[in-house]
Amino acid sequence: MTETKQRLHFSRKLLAIPYALFLLAFVIAPLLIVLYYAFTDDSGKFTLYYMKMFFNESGEGLKGFFTSYNFKTIMRSLFISFMSTLVCLIIAYPVAYIIAHCKLKNKSTLLLLFIVPMWVNFVLRINALKELFVWLGTYNKSETWNVVNTIIGMVYDFLPFMILPIYTTIIKIDKSYLEAAKDLGATPAKAFLKVTLPLSKAGIVSGISMVFLPSMTNYVVSNYLTFRNVKIIGKLIDDYFTGDLWHDGSFIALILLLFMFLATWLTGGFEEDEQTNTRGTSLW
Amino acid sequence: MKKNTALENSAKIIELVDICKDFDGVSVVENMNLYVRKGEFITFLGPSGCGKTTTLRMIAGFELPTSGKILLNGEDISHLPPNLRPVNTVFQKYALFPHLNVFENVAFGLKQKRIETTYIDKKGNQKIKKEKLPKALIAEKVKKALEIVDLSGFEKRSISTLSGGQQQRIAIARAIVNEPEILLLDEPLGALDLKMRKEMQLELKAMHKRLGITFIYVTHDQEEALTMSDTIVVMADGAIQQIGTPEMIYNEPKNTFVADFIGESNIFTGVMPKDGEVRFCGKKFECLDGGFEKDEPVDVVVRPEDVKIKPVEEGILKGKVTSVIFKGIHYQILVQCGRYEIEIQSTSAPTVGDTVGLVIKPDGIHVMKKEFVVNKFSGVITKRNTVEFGDGEFECDVTQLYPGSHLDEEGYLITAKGEKLDLTDVEVNVEVDLHDITMSDDPDEGGAQGHIISLIYKSEYYRYIVRTENEEDYVLACEDLWNENDFVSLIVPKDKIRLTLKMAEGGKQ
Repeated sequence: MTETKQRLHFSRKLLAIPYALFLLAFVIAPLLIVLYYAFTDDSGKFTLYYMKMFFNESGEGLKGFFTSYNFKTIMRSLFISFMSTLVCLIIAYPVAYIIAHCKLKNKSTLLLLFIVPMWVNFVLRINALKELFVWLGTYNKSETWNVVNTIIGMVYDFLPFMILPIYTTIIKIDKSYLEAAKDLGATPAKAFLKVTLPLSKAGIVSGISMVFLPSMTNYVVSNYLTFRNVKIIGKLIDDYFTGDLWHDGSFIALILLLFMFLATWLTGGFEEDEQTNTRGTSLW
Repeated sequence: MKKNTALENSAKIIELVDICKDFDGVSVVENMNLYVRKGEFITFLGPSGCGKTTTLRMIAGFELPTSGKILLNGEDISHLPPNLRPVNTVFQKYALFPHLNVFENVAFGLKQKRIETTYIDKKGNQKIKKEKLPKALIAEKVKKALEIVDLSGFEKRSISTLSGGQQQRIAIARAIVNEPEILLLDEPLGALDLKMRKEMQLELKAMHKRLGITFIYVTHDQEEALTMSDTIVVMADGAIQQIGTPEMIYNEPKNTFVADFIGESNIFTGVMPKDGEVRFCGKKFECLDGGFEKDEPVDVVVRPEDVKIKPVEEGILKGKVTSVIFKGIHYQILVQCGRYEIEIQSTSAPTVGDTVGLVIKPDGIHVMKKEFVVNKFSGVITKRNTVEFGDGEFECDVTQLYPGSHLDEEGYLITAKGEKLDLTDVEVNVEVDLHDITMSDDPDEGGAQGHIISLIYKSEYYRYIVRTENEEDYVLACEDLWNENDFVSLIVPKDKIRLTLKMAEGGKQ
């Protein structure tokens, strides 16, 4: 009896090996390489030169950093990401809510309307959007318009990633919670604020991380829509790498990683979600 | 209607007047009329799908009645949203908010409350201000409510750490903390294990006494209903079958459905030769009922504990013991008396195969008016001289409509006087006896198809009700056991369909 149990346990562990290998090869190893490149020079010796270069490019100390090109790019990226996420959330929540609560039988068809655009090649779509901006006359018109167009492009691209997780959490909320809230005297608006919204928090958080983090690096959108005039952090790394400056690029990649970490932590992405994420955690 | 004497004087708190509820054209509750007195513990009892939960949800405000009125203290609240009704619900699966802790859950209702205070503003006008309840008062009330349900000190706990029974108590606390006029409970003990359920039944009853709030309770568990209620409303098929105290419902069921649903029972078909005497199982019995016509067919209910086993020579009925099952406090014994199988509960057990005598005391026999004597439909004769009724088409003998008539080769009816009649589209009354309908698995074999919606064992046969797609009901007797919800087709032999002309009837009036 105990033997079979142990064997079963063992075989379950075995099942994790392919994923572990994948993780090692495509996540952990690249991260280590980035780390290695960020803190070594061409001869492979440990150095803080690239960190210094990043923070003190102009040679004026930290004061100079806040006016530096790198800092501006990071700030611009953060702003674009933040705005894209906000606009996505403002559009996606009502859409997800309405689809989840409508009385139609084929809700999935309605949902499909928002997902089908994803089936068209992304570069093609962004090019089409560019043509639209050209036609409207806002393409590369001014610095502000470039940023606005980039945000529109990001929202267009990432909206489904915000709708889907929110929709799934809302549809899963038991109707009896809402009924209970109303039964206890809450007006429909209060019931939404006190019950539906907090219970769909998991979807909102997951939607935010699906939009905020990618839109920091998705420079295809900014390149195409602004005639390469809006530079975001992803483009910065790309520029260094294409210029064979591997060490500089790696350090900025580390900074980006830091932001991602921070964003995930702030939105509570590391919190163990009892209801959705209990499986698999015991494996490791 | 007899009710608890203490309650008889208190006012009607809620009244349902001609309530109907349809879901997508399917009627769930039909013409319900009911009132509940202040302080009463009333239970809606019935099998699943009988409309009891829908009725409760209409009182709570989650469903709006299709027609009819709900009066609360005499005021029409039919269209008031749930948040404005002074009614709170304990949900079947508790519906405790998972993102809030115990305190926040219980305080939820209190935090929504606003007290209206009138004050004089600077200009001297009288104004009404709505104010939230003070925090200290909320905390105090929550504490009290948790004391009532015996869970003091659980304020900070999260819902997911509570056991089923504890969640149940929190759900009750969350409802009663608002001091509702009526507490609605929708099968609140359904998710608990048997022992816990029994404990909670008694606790709920005690709580009801202590709080003095009107309880409306929904359950499909007849024992639960008998244990807890002042009044039981037995429901089936969207309609009230009987309203009464637990004793009344058990001892004097109004029809076979109630008798069958509440407790164990032997149901026989009998006749009443005169008041105080009833014949069933081929024997004559003394009874206490009366008021039926001479030789009127009746349904007779005998509870298993009212049948006494005696030595063969002392029994009115004689039969062979076919099964003895130990049930804890008693034995369940089956005795075959000729065609009839009788269930007995006794603390002493005979051996299987013994021949025993059975007696039933007069007060153990309950006689009821027979609900279904014959199936009655209105029908139409078709071109082919068949008859359409009850959502189906059957072959029949149309010559019975005119004595001495016959059919010619073309299908026209020739009356005794030689008149030629075309019967197409003639409206007729159709009668079919319960025993003349048979069921078949093959959907094409019979003239109509439907699902079995009810079956009741009547000691020598099962009485089935088959409902067709368009809600026509056939009542039939059959010795074989079918299952509820079986899809069957109904066969009626040609010569068993009795037809009478509708026009003739109309003419006489």
